[in-house]
Amino acid sequence: MANVFSSIGDWVIERAPGLMPVYRKHMTEYYAPKNFNLWYYFGSLALLVLVNQIVTGIFLTMNYDPSAAGAFDSVQYIMRDVEWGWLIRYMHTTGASLFFVVIYLHMFRGILYGSYKKPRELVWLLGMLIFLVLMAEAFMGYVLPWGNMSFWGAKVIVSLFGTIPVIGKDLVEWIMGDFLPADATLNRFFALHVIALPLVLLLLVVLHLAALHEVGSNNPDGVDVKHGPKGNRWDPTKPADGIPFHPYYTVKDLVGVGLFLAIAAFIIFFQPTFGGWFLEHDNSIAANNLVTPAQIKPVWYFTAFYAIVRMIPSALGTAVWGVLGMFGSIALLFALPWIDVGKVKSVRYRGTGYKVALTLFVLAFFGLVLIGTDFTDELFPKLFGSDIDITAWDNAFGRVMTLIYFGFFVFLWLYTHLGWEKTKPVPERVTTHD
Amino acid sequence: MIKRYFSMFALAFGLLLGTSAAVADEGPELPSAGTNIRDIASLQRGAHLFFNYCVGCHSLKYMRYERIAADLGLTQDDVMNNLNFTGAKFGDPVISHMPADDAQKFFGKAPPDLSLEVSAKGADWVFAYLNSFYLDPKSPIGWNNTVLPNAAMPFPLWELQGEQTAVMKPGTPGDDAQIEKLTLSRPGRLTPEQYQQATRDLTNFLEYVSEPAAMQRRQYGIWVVLFLLAFTFLAYLLKKEYWKDVH
Amino acid sequence: MANEVVDQGRRRFLTTTTAVVGGVGVVAAAVPFIKSWEPSARAKAAGAPVTQSLKKIEPGQQLIVAWRSLPVFIVNRTSAQLAGLPKQESRLVDPSSTGTSADQQPKYAQNGTRSIKPEWLVMVGICTHLGCVPDYVGDMKPEPFDPNWQGGYYCPCHHSRYDMAGRVYQGVPAPKNMVVPPYQYLDDTTIQIGVDAQGAA
Repeated sequence: MANVFSSIGDWVIERAPGLMPVYRKHMTEYYAPKNFNLWYYFGSLALLVLVNQIVTGIFLTMNYDPSAAGAFDSVQYIMRDVEWGWLIRYMHTTGASLFFVVIYLHMFRGILYGSYKKPRELVWLLGMLIFLVLMAEAFMGYVLPWGNMSFWGAKVIVSLFGTIPVIGKDLVEWIMGDFLPADATLNRFFALHVIALPLVLLLLVVLHLAALHEVGSNNPDGVDVKHGPKGNRWDPTKPADGIPFHPYYTVKDLVGVGLFLAIAAFIIFFQPTFGGWFLEHDNSIAANNLVTPAQIKPVWYFTAFYAIVRMIPSALGTAVWGVLGMFGSIALLFALPWIDVGKVKSVRYRGTGYKVALTLFVLAFFGLVLIGTDFTDELFPKLFGSDIDITAWDNAFGRVMTLIYFGFFVFLWLYTHLGWEKTKPVPERVTTHD
Repeated sequence: MIKRYFSMFALAFGLLLGTSAAVADEGPELPSAGTNIRDIASLQRGAHLFFNYCVGCHSLKYMRYERIAADLGLTQDDVMNNLNFTGAKFGDPVISHMPADDAQKFFGKAPPDLSLEVSAKGADWVFAYLNSFYLDPKSPIGWNNTVLPNAAMPFPLWELQGEQTAVMKPGTPGDDAQIEKLTLSRPGRLTPEQYQQATRDLTNFLEYVSEPAAMQRRQYGIWVVLFLLAFTFLAYLLKKEYWKDVH
Repeated sequence: MANEVVDQGRRRFLTTTTAVVGGVGVVAAAVPFIKSWEPSARAKAAGAPVTQSLKKIEPGQQLIVAWRSLPVFIVNRTSAQLAGLPKQESRLVDPSSTGTSADQQPKYAQNGTRSIKPEWLVMVGICTHLGCVPDYVGDMKPEPFDPNWQGGYYCPCHHSRYDMAGRVYQGVPAPKNMVVPPYQYLDDTTIQIGVDAQGAA
């Protein structure tokens, strides 16, 4: 068996000799630092989820009907009448949420170990673009089932563009192709969700990886292994702390893949709605342009950014400030390599101020998630008594969280540009590996 | 090292599940419906209740008779003779024979399709709703409901439960009177315990109807997860073996 | 440098085992996706048996009804058409429907008229070549494509010819006789297509 495969491989290589160097460059002779830890699983897992979304998505389009009249029914058709349709749909819906779990952890890894810093700014920017496109992709996918949350989610999110002065109203109608989310909206979102944005995503992922493999991977110590001592057991001219990606990280990633799939399968088979977090109860009601669901809130993965919109009050007769705040909160992430100019990459050797700020930033992010999901509406009365003014508490808490979120970037700029940071010495070689 | 990561994973996962359970119960606390869609006998009793008391007005437009038979262990004859009174074909979905226009006229709004009622509202809500009807002379239909005030539906199960009346909280004059509890003023054909079980069965049936695939996914799920864990273990051994090279 | 002893046997064994288990997983995961292409519950419900009255079909006339979206030909054959059936048998591929066309009809239609009652032909009107719907050419008169025409079917796509029992002529592209679906008589003038007397669909 193995011989058959290797002879097929030889046959191909003989006819396309250019493939072998590509394979070597990205697999067997891509020397990755040997000290990757848990955080480094999420890149390959993101790729796995992307493949899952594409495959299950293709099969969903085979039975989905992208029309306002037929969309909701066709989802139930998939859930009931199509053989195994329920599994394919749950793989797609669970995959969507897990995509964001994985991507957020992947991004946090980048911040934790300074992977956005020189020379990897391009990798970071491409990654942020992926995140942006992924948000658009997820939003449009969320609209497709045409449940009542889909409908009102579409209405509210599209209305964000309506806050733009002068052109806002026309822009909203242009995006929807109607005066409310309607057939035209659903059709164009479907086209973008299944064709346009996936193509862009794939292209960006290829570029993200290509850019990474040009400069090499960072690691938990933030040590640049390319500039360290040379010579390892595979090649005397390659970094001493590097190991070939294949087979060492392919087999290691396989462990992560197995565990991740087991967790995903548990959710798909036993908790597909995840208590209303992954699939919301109100989306079991068909879209109704006359009745707004009791609570309109985006799916969990958007809530942190969406909460910022709510926390910034309108001023000067326009609500644009909240929207600016939301887009600003994402734009600041793009600018991270230029906001944080500290020379030390990894949190392990950075100043105490950075560690405190990063902790607060993470807490603020979770705080905003809680606000955005209205979780605090139940939490605060339980903690502080049922007679409190929930809106006031929500606003106070949410605004503090918003300030901390933005404060992180301000602090980081001052901290590194003004040279306040007291860093620890960075070792010559990577320290630990398992 | 690995052990620490695993426990971190477990902890994070547990936290997520815990919070999700907490978020699920919105609104006032409802008693647990105690449904179990693996209880086939309960599903069968619930189906009989549905087709005797509900299908007159409510459809299950996404549910086929044939599927009900297959999942509930009933024969084609059982379903066609005892449940299907509309003359629909075995492969057809359950459509109420009440024309929508009539319904609009009788109740002011068309009775909703119940295919996804439990998905949308939750089993506990449906169970509580069925147990919370009371006589209300102020209501145009004579009935009201504490879970869904001013519900448009007259109580269809009254001959089973009997009649409940509201006991008001002693309140200061001028305030809106608040209902303290419901008491059974005239017993029905069933004892309160039997009625609770009947509504539990009916809720159970509607829970099954809102996601028939739930029956299969739990059966397969355990094997898929076990297989993936076995694969993970193998991959872990493989990784250990290769990483002997790395010093 | 590679002077450490590596247990190549164990390494190869683990690699193979993981690959095989992983491969089994991938194949198993593919099954639901492949099965999702099978006719759905809706398609099956729509493909339920069809009941058709024969009362209004005059001798020599053909009625086409849809069963599982397929065109089903129901023909009230005249006695002349029936008499013409045996005349051409030497020119047919499988006149007794026992050779290559043995599976093209239920057992009870495996006879000279390929039907339960001689005059009533019930047949899926799909050419066995590439699936076109053949034209009904019932008149027993010389045709441009056959001077000895005894009535039958002529496929417009690739000129395959069948007789009045859907039996294919020699020398045409179609290989087999047309399919007779399972059907039964509910009473003298009513048939049900899609289910036979044994109850199997």
